[in-house]
Amino acid sequence: MIYLDHHAAAPTPEVVRQAMADASSIAWANPSSTHRAGQASRQLLENARELIGQSIGAAPADVVLTGGGTEACNLGVRGLAKKRRIITTAVEHPAVAESVRHLARDGREVLVLPVLAGRPPAPSELAPHLSDDSLVTVQWVNHETGTLFPVHDYAQLCRARGARLFVDATQALGKVPIDVSSLGADAVAFAAQKIGGPAGAGACWVRRGIELDTVLAGGSQERGRRPGTLDTLSMVGFGAAASLIGLRLERKTIIAALRNRLEARLLALGAVPNAGEPRSATVCNVSFPRWEGAILVAALDLEGVCVSTGAACSSGLQEPSAVIRAMYPDEQWRAGSAVRISLGIETTEQDIESATLVFQQVLSRIKGRNLHQI
Amino acid sequence: MTEPKRILVAMSGGVDSSVAAALLHEAGYDLIGVTLHLWDAEGAHQVGRCCAPEDRDDARRTCEHLGVPHYVLDERDAFREHVVDPFVADYLAGRTPIPCVSCNRTVKLTHLADVAERFGASHIATGHYARLERSSDGRLRLLRGRDADKDQSYFLFGLPQSTLERLVFPLGELTKPEVRKAGHRLGVPNADKPDSQELCFVPDGRVGDFIARQGLESKPGRILDSDGAIVGRHQGVGNFTRGQRRGLGLGGGEARYVLRIMSATDDVVVGHEEELYDQQLVAKDAHWVAGRPADTFEGEIRIRYRHRGAVGDITPTRDGFEVRFAEPQRAITPGQAAVVYRGDEVIGGGFIA
Repeated sequence: MIYLDHHAAAPTPEVVRQAMADASSIAWANPSSTHRAGQASRQLLENARELIGQSIGAAPADVVLTGGGTEACNLGVRGLAKKRRIITTAVEHPAVAESVRHLARDGREVLVLPVLAGRPPAPSELAPHLSDDSLVTVQWVNHETGTLFPVHDYAQLCRARGARLFVDATQALGKVPIDVSSLGADAVAFAAQKIGGPAGAGACWVRRGIELDTVLAGGSQERGRRPGTLDTLSMVGFGAAASLIGLRLERKTIIAALRNRLEARLLALGAVPNAGEPRSATVCNVSFPRWEGAILVAALDLEGVCVSTGAACSSGLQEPSAVIRAMYPDEQWRAGSAVRISLGIETTEQDIESATLVFQQVLSRIKGRNLHQI
Repeated sequence: MTEPKRILVAMSGGVDSSVAAALLHEAGYDLIGVTLHLWDAEGAHQVGRCCAPEDRDDARRTCEHLGVPHYVLDERDAFREHVVDPFVADYLAGRTPIPCVSCNRTVKLTHLADVAERFGASHIATGHYARLERSSDGRLRLLRGRDADKDQSYFLFGLPQSTLERLVFPLGELTKPEVRKAGHRLGVPNADKPDSQELCFVPDGRVGDFIARQGLESKPGRILDSDGAIVGRHQGVGNFTRGQRRGLGLGGGEARYVLRIMSATDDVVVGHEEELYDQQLVAKDAHWVAGRPADTFEGEIRIRYRHRGAVGDITPTRDGFEVRFAEPQRAITPGQAAVVYRGDEVIGGGFIA
């Protein structure tokens, strides 16, 4: 099996598995309990929080641990929203896009900035819409195309205008260096799954002094910001994965070279690239004319190559990519024919060579067909 | 026929397609399970119906049991365009359509033939009760399934030779009890699941309500007798089909049946049972499975799925055929398929005008 879907989930490294195995005899206890069993679990949890904090340049006290990336995004967006006017982009992950839609249904005013052909809004395009009652919610790295958003520039503008800024960094973690202390955002969301941790662990960093509304009703855990008993075991995994972020960032140029080689081969096979630079080194998003993305993904899987069309859905059903649709409104075919190939630190040259051959083999099955035959 | 190596199995989540997959797996084929997501069930109708999430789960469980890959493909747009919209339009035009025929032809099997090619699969298997046989001229002949009660060849007359060439019907030689038995023997998880509805997207059979849910206004109209006298009123022609007796709301007295639906005026004409009998029919949009017969021939014609078949003379016309039955037939219904058999073989079929 050649795994090229690291943007969906990164494989769990051995050290992370080991850390979780070691912790499993202690981490079952409720970390909020007074007794020593609870204290032992609490210690593991706080160690993990420290490792997570270190990896993003945050003080541990400002890290709110959550049950995954979607929850962290909900907390960031809905927790900061208050009565503010929302400014967002057309290519956000559903965790953010649906949170915004939820607020819009409650009558909140929403402005959606386009990201045509993968070009993020320039700071000058954002500036005129900012005021002290706006909340900007934007991702750092797009989950499907890897498009990089100039979040530092956005943050500077937001601070100057007194606007709040939420950054969805779930896909950015481990792909770009992150230092929330110098970023200038008000809240930033992370997910363990994207760096080889468990899917049920996430975090929302909140700038000190910022008042955040809770999304869930319940106990007063996480300083009243996130009720519910935290899963210590998952957080241990998150912490261990976070301590490996430096390694991931070091591999960036190697991954970029592999990605570029794969992309060049795919373009030679007739693929059309979706969104260009600036983007993360880890991903290549292309559309294949005459192919439905979902069918191509299945055909590749049958030959042992794991890729995706974009956002996965629990029913197993793959819809045309909403991101690609928004990026190319005048070329609707692209969304239905898009495939996302994402690499990680485990990806080898041999993986890329073998995957290229599989692409070639699968694509050749309908050679000689007319262009209009999808 | 070259020996099929990799076979795509169309899996609805029902017993039949699950057992078809299990039998092929037992025979040593390399299988790929595919479930088409055709329709999103609405509200209270989400349970116990085609394309419900639990059906996809059943298909997935069977594939997991067999250790074969399973994929769900989204065909909702094609299903609406080629099946549901024409179905609703037909009903509003006073016909009683048979959507399974066009579904098999466009959305299901012909589409899956394309998918199979992309998956590197030489054949497609389904759980249909039907058989294929190659004739001496090289063409494939479509035959009734061995189980006369479950035979589904009626729904398959519209398939072109190019699609038939890729099809495999593992249940063609079996009866339903044999299929369930095979399901138990092979450990198929859903072997005891009840049979599905004939019309998958209208599981309760209430077409009028279904049409209303599609946001289309059913226009109320008059109920007339054969002499043109108004005997009642109705809430929309979508609630009626030829030969129907119940639901007319005409009160007691002698039994009356729907004779005709006049879509131009939204009138429903009712009358006595003997007025439902006709000795001929005209069919349009015919498809001849192994070529169009040159002259009039005698055959057996089924005018609806649950019709035993009646003997008649069939005369091919330019795009259809005409039938003269030996005996008058009850409630020959516009929109339904008239399928022509000679013995076990499906010669062709068309839609009753």
